[in-house]
Amino acid sequence: MARLLDLAISAILLAGLYATMAYGLGLIYGVLRVVNLAHGGVIMAGAYLGWWLHDRLGLDPYLSIPIVVVVAFAFGAVLYRVLVRHLPRGAAGGPASLLLLFGVWLVLRNGAYLLFTGNDHALRTSYSTRALPFLGTWVSVNRVAVLAIALVVPAALHVLLRRTYLGKAIRAVAQNADSCTLVGVDVERIYTVTFGIGTALAGLAGLLSATLFAFNPAFGAGELLKSFVVVVLGGLGSIVGTAVAALILAVIEVFAILVLPSYLTAAVGFVMLVVVLVVRPGGLFGERVLG
Amino acid sequence: MKDRAPWRRRSFGTVALAAILALAACKSRGPGAESKTEIKIGATLPLTGSEARIGGFYKEGYDLAVEQANAGGGLEVGGKRLPVRFTLLDDTSTQATAVSLADRLVNGDKVDFLLGTYASHLVEAQSTVAEQNKVPYVNGGGGATQIYRRGYKYLFGLLAPVELLGSTLMQWIDGEQQAGRLPKPSRIALVWENTAHGKDFRRGVQEFAQQRQGAYPIVVDESFELDGKDFGALLGKVKASGADLFLADAHLPDYITMQRQYVSAGLCHKVVSYGARGSEKGAIDALGPDNVLYILSAVWWSPQLAERQGGLAKDFVEVFKAKYGGRTPEWYQALGYETARALFTAIQQAGKVDREAVRAKLAEMKIPSLLPGGQLSFAADHGQQAYYPFVVQQNLPGGRSPLVFPKEVALAEGVAPNPRCAK
Repeated sequence: MARLLDLAISAILLAGLYATMAYGLGLIYGVLRVVNLAHGGVIMAGAYLGWWLHDRLGLDPYLSIPIVVVVAFAFGAVLYRVLVRHLPRGAAGGPASLLLLFGVWLVLRNGAYLLFTGNDHALRTSYSTRALPFLGTWVSVNRVAVLAIALVVPAALHVLLRRTYLGKAIRAVAQNADSCTLVGVDVERIYTVTFGIGTALAGLAGLLSATLFAFNPAFGAGELLKSFVVVVLGGLGSIVGTAVAALILAVIEVFAILVLPSYLTAAVGFVMLVVVLVVRPGGLFGERVLG
Repeated sequence: MKDRAPWRRRSFGTVALAAILALAACKSRGPGAESKTEIKIGATLPLTGSEARIGGFYKEGYDLAVEQANAGGGLEVGGKRLPVRFTLLDDTSTQATAVSLADRLVNGDKVDFLLGTYASHLVEAQSTVAEQNKVPYVNGGGGATQIYRRGYKYLFGLLAPVELLGSTLMQWIDGEQQAGRLPKPSRIALVWENTAHGKDFRRGVQEFAQQRQGAYPIVVDESFELDGKDFGALLGKVKASGADLFLADAHLPDYITMQRQYVSAGLCHKVVSYGARGSEKGAIDALGPDNVLYILSAVWWSPQLAERQGGLAKDFVEVFKAKYGGRTPEWYQALGYETARALFTAIQQAGKVDREAVRAKLAEMKIPSLLPGGQLSFAADHGQQAYYPFVVQQNLPGGRSPLVFPKEVALAEGVAPNPRCAK
């Protein structure tokens, strides 16, 4: 029983991490219909920025969240204005956007190699290995913090999308950009802001990952892959779906150790992805746009 | 008959010319080695990409060896000095690039010999090019035993088999058990990365445990994927097993992630090891000195050998520090340096720049070395992979990681059981 409780806690904490990594990817696809391959690069850059702020300025990683989010937002907005908006819209823009954003990722990665070399870095604070007692077991403080942020993010996005003019405009543009133009919504501005928010969420995921893992410029590839699984599983464009899919994936991966060798548990998610794509291509939560 | 004479004359001329050309060709092929003005050696290393950090270390070792070789005008080959022209390319840590660049070095740049790259998977792929072209390939970056089980004649490796890493750790543990400091039996939780490196480590521990018949039951035997994001479930299994010893084999990022979760989960074992990882500055920075205390690690070489083994190890540490601003070398630079030195020695012993002659000298090589044990040879019964003991070190209070095993080179007594578990 204690073992199952341990596994359940592990799964919930892991779900928090997966969800944080996937929100940005899901939001950008939901509104712009662009698969942001630079997502992994921004996660890596967010990790380095958090590490740099801590190492050079002594800033606690959780206090540096606003800085990382603002910098990543600005980067995303500029990236959209300078590059992404020139791509053709619709199906024709698919391959072009994939190639372009993959290129951006490579630039980010090689920039990191130039600036920081290929050495592994890790962000260590006084509480990096601290744990809290919980139901007879120990729970890492950092993992709990990541879970809390993973719960706050969809709530904040929900408020933004439902209660503000900007949010309503984002949802409207996601549903029909041409109609929005007719009624006076500045669609390009909405796209810019959305791309910025999605990139900011990737930066945030990178910062939070840096509190848990060692990283180097190659960091982000595995995170992007996991984000894809979560986003597709949850239903492309569904924020709530993303959160639930992260939980499902984490539970299955963690509990799989009861019946599978440890090295195969990571593959379970990809098997699920294939099954969902075949059986329910819209994801577990359908093709809802930012629902 | 009359008109056949010119043909005969032309025919004779052609044959004579061909004979002269053939003789010239023979002359330039045989003693041609002696008529060479330099020795071309090629290599690739992962100078960018995921292995860039370590690739840079190997480069420092290669550069130092080449600089030393050329300092006196080059290597002494057949009574005269030939400078070494070293061509180093970046294989970007990818197999395809490592293979294509090796092909370019052999068939484009026409190098005489190859030095190897770093990381087992790159060496495994690249050494095939050397074998196909019959070019001696000496590497210090491929430790996986499967590389040397293919029957290659031109492949020579300086990294001792990773199996020995596991068995050397077990030898130290066995000594502690026999001294009554560890329980008998000691239950082992064996956790290894799902790579050739991890499998070899596991085999080393398993085989030792089998030999000791019941003294080391393995209660957890699990592998994990590289760059894991969560080891909670795996560590939960370790916790539930009630193991006495925690023996893992992991690369640096996984060691950091796993040890963080290990400490957070309140785990403690009488002996903790992450294979070759443990005393790296990066890990101590990432985890904090307290969280790496008493971790045991085994490596192919340590600068501490300079103190106890002296000789070439001491000389190497001194010249390395002189060249690189007082920095102390790690095992990567030492292996890079020794790899190049082994090839240079074989060329000098062969007395000519001839691939077959150098290959033969490498195969029968037995020279003093800076490696543990002080001898280097390429064991034929291990597929021409060097076979020498690892050195075991342990993180102790005060930021020290002294060698604790083998006894001949130990600078301190190892500590077992882990005093942290008593707290």
